[in-house]
Amino acid sequence: MAHRVLTVCPYCGSGCQIYLTVENGSILGAEPGPGRTNESELCLKGYYGWDFLKNTKRLTARLTKPLLRYKRTDDFQEVSWEEAIGFAAEKLQAIKQKYGPEAIMATGSARGPGNEANYIMQKFVRAVLGSNNIDHCARVCHGSSVAGLAATLGNGAMSNSIPEIEDTKCVFIFGYNAADSHPIVARRILKAKEKGAKIIVTDPRFTEQARVADLWLPIKNGTNMALVNAFGHVLLAERLYKPEYVEQFTEGFETYQKVVARYTPEYAETITGIPAQDIRKAARMYANAPSATILWGMGVTQFGQAVDVVKGLSSLALLTGNFGRPHVGVGPVRGQNNVQGACDHGALPNMFPGYQPVADKAVRKKFAAAWGVKSLPEKPGYHLTEVPHLVKEGKLKAYYIFGEDPVQSDPDAAAVREALNAMELVIVQDIFMNKTALHADVIFPATSWGEHEGVYSAADRGFQKFNKAIEPQGDVKPDWEIISLLATALGYPMKYACSEEIWEELRRLCPIYEGVTYQRLEELGSIQWPCPSLDHPGTPYLYEGNKFDTPSGKGLLFAAEFRPPKEAPDSQYPFVLCTVREIGHYSVRTMTGNCAALQVLADEPGFIQINPADLQQLGIQDQELVWVSSRRGKVIARALSTERVNTGAVYMTYHWWIGACNELTIDHLDPISRTPEYKYCAVQVEKIIDQAAAEQYVQTEYSKLKKKMFCS
Amino acid sequence: MNNFVIADPDKCIGCRTCEVACVMAHGEHPLEQLTEENFLPRLRLVRTAKISMPIQCRQCEDAPCAQSCPEQAILQNGHSVQVTAGKCIGCKSCLLACPYGAIDLVVRPSSTGAKLNTVEALKCDLCLERTGGPACIQVCPTKALYQVEGSQMAGRLQQKRRKAAMGVVKVSGN
Repeated sequence: MAHRVLTVCPYCGSGCQIYLTVENGSILGAEPGPGRTNESELCLKGYYGWDFLKNTKRLTARLTKPLLRYKRTDDFQEVSWEEAIGFAAEKLQAIKQKYGPEAIMATGSARGPGNEANYIMQKFVRAVLGSNNIDHCARVCHGSSVAGLAATLGNGAMSNSIPEIEDTKCVFIFGYNAADSHPIVARRILKAKEKGAKIIVTDPRFTEQARVADLWLPIKNGTNMALVNAFGHVLLAERLYKPEYVEQFTEGFETYQKVVARYTPEYAETITGIPAQDIRKAARMYANAPSATILWGMGVTQFGQAVDVVKGLSSLALLTGNFGRPHVGVGPVRGQNNVQGACDHGALPNMFPGYQPVADKAVRKKFAAAWGVKSLPEKPGYHLTEVPHLVKEGKLKAYYIFGEDPVQSDPDAAAVREALNAMELVIVQDIFMNKTALHADVIFPATSWGEHEGVYSAADRGFQKFNKAIEPQGDVKPDWEIISLLATALGYPMKYACSEEIWEELRRLCPIYEGVTYQRLEELGSIQWPCPSLDHPGTPYLYEGNKFDTPSGKGLLFAAEFRPPKEAPDSQYPFVLCTVREIGHYSVRTMTGNCAALQVLADEPGFIQINPADLQQLGIQDQELVWVSSRRGKVIARALSTERVNTGAVYMTYHWWIGACNELTIDHLDPISRTPEYKYCAVQVEKIIDQAAAEQYVQTEYSKLKKKMFCS
Repeated sequence: MNNFVIADPDKCIGCRTCEVACVMAHGEHPLEQLTEENFLPRLRLVRTAKISMPIQCRQCEDAPCAQSCPEQAILQNGHSVQVTAGKCIGCKSCLLACPYGAIDLVVRPSSTGAKLNTVEALKCDLCLERTGGPACIQVCPTKALYQVEGSQMAGRLQQKRRKAAMGVVKVSGN
């Protein structure tokens, strides 16, 4: 008899509830569940993105046994858990003794493992290894939002909830294509429009999101700060802001005023290419709406000047009093199902779980007592994006990579590979073989989403319980159990009977999660933190009474001078490359690349979106294969002619393993959040004369790749 | 009048969930066995510089596909135009006749050897056999797809005329 299991989608951060239909231990289908954010709707990946669980081997194979090699030149051998854990523990111990605890780096995982596993990983790093060297892929994504909003508002998360979007009267969307990245959020935006809201979209491309907007601001790549400053300028110059609100609830107005003073719309037009009258129109539309919401994505955060822009955007909401009530606020909409959760649970180099700073002595003391260690390190850990440089400097010797694939996801893949090769120990813990695992010494196979339970955090701070639907195949273990075994082997006994036991430990250490239990989550479906007590209903929107979580309780107004991107196009590399995403694929594609329908809709080598005028100049036809090169690498991709992109810029989605755009991207970082400038580097696009040979090359490369991923 | 499915381009986000739903509703393959060869949606997303929307059969009242079919394989059936499986000979007249590009021909090599190929003309059948109605409508995350009921057309038109009349009143200030 088939039965249904209610769980949470493993893809974007919308946090959609899904029913999986299961029969004889196998999944038959997915249907929408009655979730708070999705209200019985799902998107493409939600409906058709679960068959990777059947180990379809379309791109890469599931890991089913611990794998080990004593020499990097050897092939991996299947070994027992005892041998794999023993090897890793011994090596970690030796590296720690020889170079100190700071020579070891670890990641959290923003994906399937869940909050409990992230809590255990950071506990392992802090209490067992003895450093704060833990970070995760939020660093390459919304790290700038977390840093920016923490500074201006005191909290790095979405201020309001996804369901509230549909009742706002203006949605100001900046560098965010919800239609591709969060269709379930796009649905709310469309509903808002139906209810009379104005939609403004800032994007250099005429995206699906821009297409449904009332006003599209086609911004020149890499000029966000100039536009945000001009917006602020108009709000002040035309007295569209709320002086009483600013007086009462904010600080920094005078400095703000000075910085934005010279950013007239006319001046901004010279930088951004957006007509001055459209900047004015948009600012008026936003300021005159009785309620307005700003949403942004990677088009804001993945620049060398990203934190400043985030601060600038939150300043627009502060100036117009769009906080402290429903249907307003700021929304950095998180891209991975549990990237909010990995941040929430201390997979950050400066935060314990519950956003309790490692710099705080009392906090360190509390965690040390709870974890039974004498003390915990005070010094903040390394950032994920600094790993290649730290390896070069001889500071990092070991890397424990948990549910991430940096060779595919991080900028300048060649530099990442070089760093991994130079390390003395690389541990990979994953559900699939991946590009990073090719550089590992030992691989721990873990259970996947669908095979274990836990709690995820949706993008809008909503905790939800996800459930086990099927039994895992092979000799795999839940992530928290693997980490516990390693901790125990390192002399710190760690043993939990189930994930709920971990949750119970962590909620008692985190005042903002204390009122959330498995039982309450099952009763209520979702609880948004802060939820400080068992009788607390959770917090749909932050900053009630316009009291911000900053030290002064006030919101900080902030503007910075515009700084252009690092690598400008030149005669050798005349195009700007901006990395974007594909609706049917997700992150490094290990999951969606193994899903049949999603693979049929889009497959290797992936597209490079380019304006027909540019294609014509290059003598390239639509759908032809082309070489794309930068100062860092060269890849093959298929030209997609589209008037929806601006001339002079090309766009590649970052999921492809052959057309891997991160072979090209630059590791130029925002100085505060250390987030890379994925959205801007210089590339060349070259015509290939022998198309048949190029097609053959793609097929050969794909086959070779699959073989390396144990698919043959 | 016939019923038909149509998309609102102002709501479509071009995600192609409808295409997969269509394949799953009509195919015999479980999800994990979909391939390029058996992925045969009866509606297709069209993306131009300004528009995104799926295009499918309009269930024409005097259907050119049916008119052009020498085998009477395409017939009016209740409130829609349907293809009778097995009658199609693969002559492609319907493909040429349909102004929407909404009908497609699938040619498969025959396994028996008795025939050269097996053919099937595919177009939107409004998921007549399916409980819950058209699968594309059901899965569309933005509710861009909807079915227009031919029987309600008169009422819809009457409503529009009323709206138009009120518009005239506003303009003239009476």
